[in-house]
Amino acid sequence: MKTVEATSNPKQRSLWVETWRRLKKDKLAIVGMIFILLLFCIAISTIVIDLVTHKSFYDAYVIKQNLRMRFKGPSKDHIFGLDEFGRDIFLRMLWATRYSLFMGTFAIAIATVIGGTLGAVAGYYGKATDNVIMRFMDILLAIPSMLLATAIVAALGTSLTNVLIAIAISYIPTFARTVRASVLTVKDQEFVEAARALGASDFRIIFKYIIPNSLAPLIVQATLGVAGAILSVAGLSFLGLGIQPPTPEWGSMLSNARSYIREGWHLTVIPGLGIMLTILSLNIMGDGLRDALDPRLKN
Amino acid sequence: MEEKKELLRVEHLKKYFQTPGGTLHAVDDVSFTLNEGTTLGVVGESGCGKSTLGRTILKLHEPTDGRVFFEGKDITDLKPKQMKPYRKEMQIIFQDPFASLNPRMTVGQTISESLLIQKAFDRRDKAGLEKRVAEVMDLVGIAPRLVNSYPHELDGGRRQRVGIGRVLALNPKFIVCDEPVSALDVSIRAQVLNLMQDLQEKFGFTYLFITHDLSVVKHLSDDIVVMYLGKIVEKAPAKELFINPCHPYTKALLSAIPVPDPDYQVQRIILEGELTSPIDPKPGCRFAKRCPYATDACRQGDIPVKEVAPGHTVACNLV
Amino acid sequence: MDNNLLEVKNLVINYETDDGNVHALNGVTLSLKDGETLGLVGETGAGKTTLARGIMRLVPDPPGKIKSGEVFFEGRDLLKISAQEMLKVRGQSISMIFQDPMTSLNPVLTVGFQIEEVVRTHNPEMKKSEVWERACQMLELVGISRDRANEYPHQFSGGMKQRVIIAIALACNPKLLIADEPTTALDVTIQAQVLDMIRALKKKLNTSMLLITHDLGVVAQTCDRVAIMYAGEIVEEGDLHQIFKETRHPYTQGLLGSLPSLAVDVDRLNPIKGMMPDPTNLPKGCKFSPRCQWATERCESEHPELRELPGGHMCRCFMTEEK
Repeated sequence: MKTVEATSNPKQRSLWVETWRRLKKDKLAIVGMIFILLLFCIAISTIVIDLVTHKSFYDAYVIKQNLRMRFKGPSKDHIFGLDEFGRDIFLRMLWATRYSLFMGTFAIAIATVIGGTLGAVAGYYGKATDNVIMRFMDILLAIPSMLLATAIVAALGTSLTNVLIAIAISYIPTFARTVRASVLTVKDQEFVEAARALGASDFRIIFKYIIPNSLAPLIVQATLGVAGAILSVAGLSFLGLGIQPPTPEWGSMLSNARSYIREGWHLTVIPGLGIMLTILSLNIMGDGLRDALDPRLKN
Repeated sequence: MEEKKELLRVEHLKKYFQTPGGTLHAVDDVSFTLNEGTTLGVVGESGCGKSTLGRTILKLHEPTDGRVFFEGKDITDLKPKQMKPYRKEMQIIFQDPFASLNPRMTVGQTISESLLIQKAFDRRDKAGLEKRVAEVMDLVGIAPRLVNSYPHELDGGRRQRVGIGRVLALNPKFIVCDEPVSALDVSIRAQVLNLMQDLQEKFGFTYLFITHDLSVVKHLSDDIVVMYLGKIVEKAPAKELFINPCHPYTKALLSAIPVPDPDYQVQRIILEGELTSPIDPKPGCRFAKRCPYATDACRQGDIPVKEVAPGHTVACNLV
Repeated sequence: MDNNLLEVKNLVINYETDDGNVHALNGVTLSLKDGETLGLVGETGAGKTTLARGIMRLVPDPPGKIKSGEVFFEGRDLLKISAQEMLKVRGQSISMIFQDPMTSLNPVLTVGFQIEEVVRTHNPEMKKSEVWERACQMLELVGISRDRANEYPHQFSGGMKQRVIIAIALACNPKLLIADEPTTALDVTIQAQVLDMIRALKKKLNTSMLLITHDLGVVAQTCDRVAIMYAGEIVEEGDLHQIFKETRHPYTQGLLGSLPSLAVDVDRLNPIKGMMPDPTNLPKGCKFSPRCQWATERCESEHPELRELPGGHMCRCFMTEEK
């Protein structure tokens, strides 16, 4: 008797591996990812250098002023030129990376966890819980995010932490909504009913069944959210509410350069380009992720 | 002929849903008894309430009225926490083999999940779990190498076997089978139906087999119940129902089934009208609107339930 | 050319995907006469929908590619005509209805408008009132009162929606109707109604039909001839009697033998072992051989051709040669 071997040989791949495989095919998304990775490396290196040199390098080169050479354009020694205080723009750009990137990422991470949980609870329990949580989110959404962030920072003071809190709060409602929408779809699916039929507790159902299957839209939102958060950090610094001088930050660099546009293109264009390229890379990555996570898996 | 023990008793079970359009009488006064080791086929089309019936018996929906007795105990009013131990004995196999499996869990994890939730094994007893999972996979006919596969990597037939395996792992007494083969390819259906039959013979499961396809339940069921718009219109032992269908709906249903035999002649009864939802139903027989023999008496008043043969009851005025 | 309305010759269609080349159709040949109903039977992955799309030139490209073959309709090879000319064919000479009535109708347009649309597209000179009249007539033809022409799809039930779709398909009186699992999503009693109606309409309008289904019961009641598909090929073809009573191909036999049927009393069903082959990795030789209880070494290495048996009965199996 011939044994019948199934001719289909399923390559055992989890959904994450599948996603990565498809993401790899999107060349543009990979370019974006490489750029962001580069920025991460730069940020971490600058932190390490500061630690190792006890900030002596920072004091000597990043914030040291050299007024005789102010506004000097890009040259062999200073590839991005010097700013209004004669400081090397290239080094300042590198040292500023950590604020934009990490602030953006942490702010979104906080917003994701808090917003996500609120959205999951609202979506799962529905009725009064849903109403209360989502109306509160609506209130937050009704206030323009920059205004909200400005108000919080103005009230609590211009420290890094407060900027972080301000931005996180302004993003919580978006994530709550995204997760709630996913949860509403997923909770009615049969495999959730199956879990209930086995006697699974609400906690288990929410964390093991519903949330893992609601992540895709959230991940995409988060990636794009980091882009927005970075802009917010830059914007707050631009308004003077964020990072304080002499600490370099792209937004404040841009803001300060406004008065000196005539002195040199490099003062405004370099920080502007930095912000732009970062946001662009994050957006491209987000688009690529969204396409890769798309459950068109069912071939 | 040994007397089979009563496993499940359903008395005047009702499940109503509140909708914007009115009250949906999904299950309306359904009563029956199910003995251990037997199969009851529940047959009907969209809107008849068969799926709701299955889920209400398992308390996945809270009954609106009536009683459900499992092994003699009244489980109707039990809270979810109190129901948990019963869930080990009362399980369900779903229709859609794709939607009923968690896309993020492998075959092994899905089957283990049943055992972990019901605390049949401790999470740290990895060896014990693995052994039981392997046992179950073997029983349902899934190759051992697929233990780490995800649902999207398997075909419909295999997914359904995982669905069966997940239930089998707990060794329940009573299984509601909600259209378990309707979503499968024709050549796979027979495989899965045979599997279910074999498992019943081996482990003595009691099945509530819900389907719209009468030909599928014919050889599997001991008794069959035909539902229409929330009510049971006919109940009979399986063979009896096919030889002597009495209710006009049953007759129409039987005649509508296309038989794969060009020489099979049948008096085709084509029903007029549509399948509606039982929202705020009017008194009288719910089938009257489409029934070719309906009289005025059918449209008002109560419809008597008559016994036309031992174990064969019909809810109709004209029988 | 013996008055064949449709002749498909050696059609090969692939889907070029990331996971490999899916060999959906591997040289399909079949023909359909005027007024005839041909049932195309197969399971998931057999290639029936791809065949229907191939005939209509609706294969999504990418990833689908028509590799070779010809599709003769009323003497013209549809694969060679221009896209513009194909537009005139669709809806007017050949119509198609799909499986899921819930998603086949545009939810924001009234049913009357959707029927009018197809009439207007192929009859641009027709007067508005005439177009409307035709739409209403079609509704009545499928058993829906013309008062409902201004209603939206969500106001109709599944069976009624499917009737509307049939009305749209037949509005321009096409010579060929391709129906892809038209009643699979419907309840049994509704299916009976709809099939009844299709039979009556076919007779009245003398439309030929290619009925695609996995349900051999539906085929037995509605079709004149049957073609069985497996792994992108026709494995058996014949009239009702030949297919159901003189079955020759092991797959068809297996299929018929595994069906639970009202007509037969069984204690246990008789399934076909194994599963459909992976379309990116089809077996050499006969594609059914891994599952066939009579497979020989020849079956595993050599690919059988579709041979004609007496009476116009076709079969793709080496066993038919030993006679």
